[in-house]
Amino acid sequence: MTAIITAPDHEVPATTELIAPKISRYKRMFPTVGVLLSWMFLLTLTFMAVFADYLPFIRSTQTVVKASGRSGVRFGFGPGFTAWFGTDTLGKDVFAKCIYGARVTLFVGVLATIIGLTIGGILGLAAGYFRGWVDRVVSILTDCLLALPPLLLAIILVFRLDDLKAKWSWISWLDRRWQITLTLGILAIAPLARIVRAQTLSLREREFVLAARSLGAKNGRIVVREILPNLIPTMMTVAFTGLGILIAAEGALAFLGLSVEIPTPTWGKLIDDNKNKIDVAWWAEIFPSLMLFLTVLAFSVIGDRLSRRFDIREAGV
Amino acid sequence: MSNITQAGTRDVEGPLLELVDVKTHFKTHRGLVRAVDGVSFSLDRGKALGIVGESGSGKTILSRSIMGLLPSKGTIREGSIRFEGKEIGNLDRKQMRGIWGREMAMIFQDPMTSLNPLMKIGRQIAEPLRIHLGMDRAGAWQTAERLLQDVRISEASRRLNQYPHELSGGMRQRVMIAIAMACGPTLLFADEPTTALDVTVQAQILDLLNDQREERNMSLILVTHDLGVVAGHTDEIAVMYGGKLVEKAPTKVLFARMKMPYTEALMQSIPKIDDPSHTRLLAIGGRPPDLVHPPLGCRFAPRCLYARDKCQTEEPPLVQAEDPAHSYACWYPVGSAEYHEAKARLAETPVTVGGRG
Amino acid sequence: MAGTGKAHLRNGEALLRVEDLVVQFPVGRTGLVVNAVSGISLDVLKGETLGLVGESGCGKSTTGRAIMQLPRPNSGSVQFEGKELTAMAGDEMREARTRMQMIFQDPVSSLNPRRKVRDIVMEPLTIWDRGTKADRSKLVDRVLEEVGIDPQRASESQPHQFSGGQCQRISIARSLVLDPSLIICDEPVSALDVSVQAQVLNLLEDLKARYGLTMIFIAHDLAVVKNISDRVAVMYLGKICEVARSDDLYHEPAHHYTNVLLQSIPVPDPDVAVQRRAIEGEPPSPVLPPSGCRFHTRCPAAAARCSAEEPQLREIGDGHFVACHYPVHGGEAPVTVRSSGTAA
Repeated sequence: MTAIITAPDHEVPATTELIAPKISRYKRMFPTVGVLLSWMFLLTLTFMAVFADYLPFIRSTQTVVKASGRSGVRFGFGPGFTAWFGTDTLGKDVFAKCIYGARVTLFVGVLATIIGLTIGGILGLAAGYFRGWVDRVVSILTDCLLALPPLLLAIILVFRLDDLKAKWSWISWLDRRWQITLTLGILAIAPLARIVRAQTLSLREREFVLAARSLGAKNGRIVVREILPNLIPTMMTVAFTGLGILIAAEGALAFLGLSVEIPTPTWGKLIDDNKNKIDVAWWAEIFPSLMLFLTVLAFSVIGDRLSRRFDIREAGV
Repeated sequence: MSNITQAGTRDVEGPLLELVDVKTHFKTHRGLVRAVDGVSFSLDRGKALGIVGESGSGKTILSRSIMGLLPSKGTIREGSIRFEGKEIGNLDRKQMRGIWGREMAMIFQDPMTSLNPLMKIGRQIAEPLRIHLGMDRAGAWQTAERLLQDVRISEASRRLNQYPHELSGGMRQRVMIAIAMACGPTLLFADEPTTALDVTVQAQILDLLNDQREERNMSLILVTHDLGVVAGHTDEIAVMYGGKLVEKAPTKVLFARMKMPYTEALMQSIPKIDDPSHTRLLAIGGRPPDLVHPPLGCRFAPRCLYARDKCQTEEPPLVQAEDPAHSYACWYPVGSAEYHEAKARLAETPVTVGGRG
Repeated sequence: MAGTGKAHLRNGEALLRVEDLVVQFPVGRTGLVVNAVSGISLDVLKGETLGLVGESGCGKSTTGRAIMQLPRPNSGSVQFEGKELTAMAGDEMREARTRMQMIFQDPVSSLNPRRKVRDIVMEPLTIWDRGTKADRSKLVDRVLEEVGIDPQRASESQPHQFSGGQCQRISIARSLVLDPSLIICDEPVSALDVSVQAQVLNLLEDLKARYGLTMIFIAHDLAVVKNISDRVAVMYLGKICEVARSDDLYHEPAHHYTNVLLQSIPVPDPDVAVQRRAIEGEPPSPVLPPSGCRFHTRCPAAAARCSAEEPQLREIGDGHFVACHYPVHGGEAPVTVRSSGTAA
């Protein structure tokens, strides 16, 4: 019953598993209600955002809502059958704006995470695996990135790039959406690189890496075959949790006025636009906030779920 | 079994620990795991008991069951555990907290993971003293220093200010012992305390445990997979297999006249230093039984060289040997006519390469 | 630097010949070094099993890894199959490494937890692109069966679904598929139950005979080492204390440290066990090893000469070598003119 040998056997379940059944296997196999709801929410939201133009119950964000002779202008409709989330001061459907806002928000969040994860992952992996001067260079780089004030970076990338876009045609394809994505992606690199580096450091000391080397495997093969598969669970977990944070950050930037071109809606912009009207029309403020809150929560719940799931499998290893 | 009544505050009659038909089952997705399945024994004050068995024999679960360290969720506990005459088998964690440390303590295999890496050694020893015994800071620190001297750590006062990673594996295990003994428990569990250590250090730690036991009139339950470890350091040995107690005897009796073929097989699998090199070891083939669907008869029968039809179908009860303190569960024990017959038969068919390995 | 001598090296063709091996690790950025291995010499003949025994921190595992050049030793020579490994680089080194394989202590950590067991065993063949796909499959299935693992189950399961003993068998299978000539076993059984330990030891003996392997067997338990080895080298704090045939080492231990190790083995006999008394203390730090004989701080027979002069390995019997001024038997070492000082 040595703790060194923690691998459960088919025939005999390892005692470690019996002693610490934090989550039973049943629970591990079937997601909890919260996770299920999170997935449902995110998938529905994504579906609606992608196909918003074709779905009959989502109005255009440009048309003023009119029904039974009344106009929706100046918060004409509260939440109800006509406009589910009510209308805003211009008479536009808040629900429609929320869905179209999700387009931008999800785009920015997902892409920023991918940028952060790819660059941060490669940097962290290289630093952790090769150590030495690579590690030192990456360390300096991540330290610099962490020292960068996020707001300053955002202002530079959003406003300065606007000027540069006018000057240099080769970056004219960059719209505000991309600028914000870049900002958030760059901000995500350093923390992700650090997490991946730490994980790689501990993995490279494991004996199966030494075994692979003694078999004559080259570095590339060791990284791809031995280390990367063991990093993926951590990266997935971090990606989901990070997504939530980045979406919230997008909202915060929009709230500060650093957002996409008018008239494209984003949640942050909706929250910002209606913040002073909460006593007149709570719905225009509350519903976008709720969407933001629920999305961040859903990503966190799934991230948490993933981390626990992979943790247990790691415990046997 | 003699009842040694301890002088001093605790003078309750009877054995210190008494287990009657203790069962610990776990609910898993595969079904009910019968990790401990009807174990009874008693332990006197000041005595050392060795619980020996392979991985999956239930020895660790049994000791944790007695300590009440198992999660309540999904665990079914049955039977009676009496400690100092009190029933403790049905106490919950909250009630057990009063017993941990002061009455029972445990040391684990890996001292590195049992110690808090961010806390100084001194604080880790002093903490329980302050919580359980209500000592003040200075008093607890002084006691901690004395405890470190007791476990023979040199320069005790300097060590108090060190962190676990600054100590060697053997030192850390000594610190664990000091922590376990801080509140003067009457019963100490040592779960594979030396498996992670070098042989030279192993001998030191076992001697230390023995000395402390004698000095403090403490009882010791030594859980291990190695019969060699318990031989010189226990009064009694209980051999477990597949969640059951299969043989129990005073140490000397067990080694002189073991009855259970499993105990014999465990003995034979140890490489002996007296044997010439390249002596083929008599390994036990196969694997421990599945505790969800244990074999019908004797649980060792599928791996036993001397098993007969009866062993496959009928479960042997625990019976007494010539020595009244010696009991075993086997239909055809070592030394019986059937055993010799089977052995003679085996001798004719030589063991093929890999056949028993 | 005073080495512990090379008197024990044999003339003629050895499969592996290690001379004056030194391995040091820096301690953080303090400028201090851990003297893990301080100039040891070894040789292993073809088909022989050499046991390396000592406490943790004596450098036995480091020696094993330095032979594989993982990491490379700081100095010294390692000749394997007539070729100098320390001078090799790149692809030549990778190629040479396949002729020797290693089995590690922790059977679970040495297998990638996220790959199928069969793929793990197949990996060496894939790396070197040996044979056709069908050939590889056949070979892997055969080796898996030889070590007692069901190939069918191996293709479906990951390492954590196997027990510790089975994982060690899988490691052994992986080390065999490239058909190496030397296997370095680094504490292969010390994490296993005694019953499983016996199975693995028997398996190693069988495979050694079948494949004509040469082995270096590293362990801290002298009883285990003695069982499997032809010749045993006892190490203490990066130096060799004694080299002898394994039976001789047990019957006539010459070094006091060997004696201590023998005394520490738990004997499954209550009458013997109670008479024993463990040695006090633990090995000193390899950062600042003691002067002279490194064992003199714990040695029951230490004298003034022991702390001043480092003993050299010398022959005291047929194939029996000891590095001690006042060995248990074999007579006092002749006084040498060489001054020793602290070895580092």
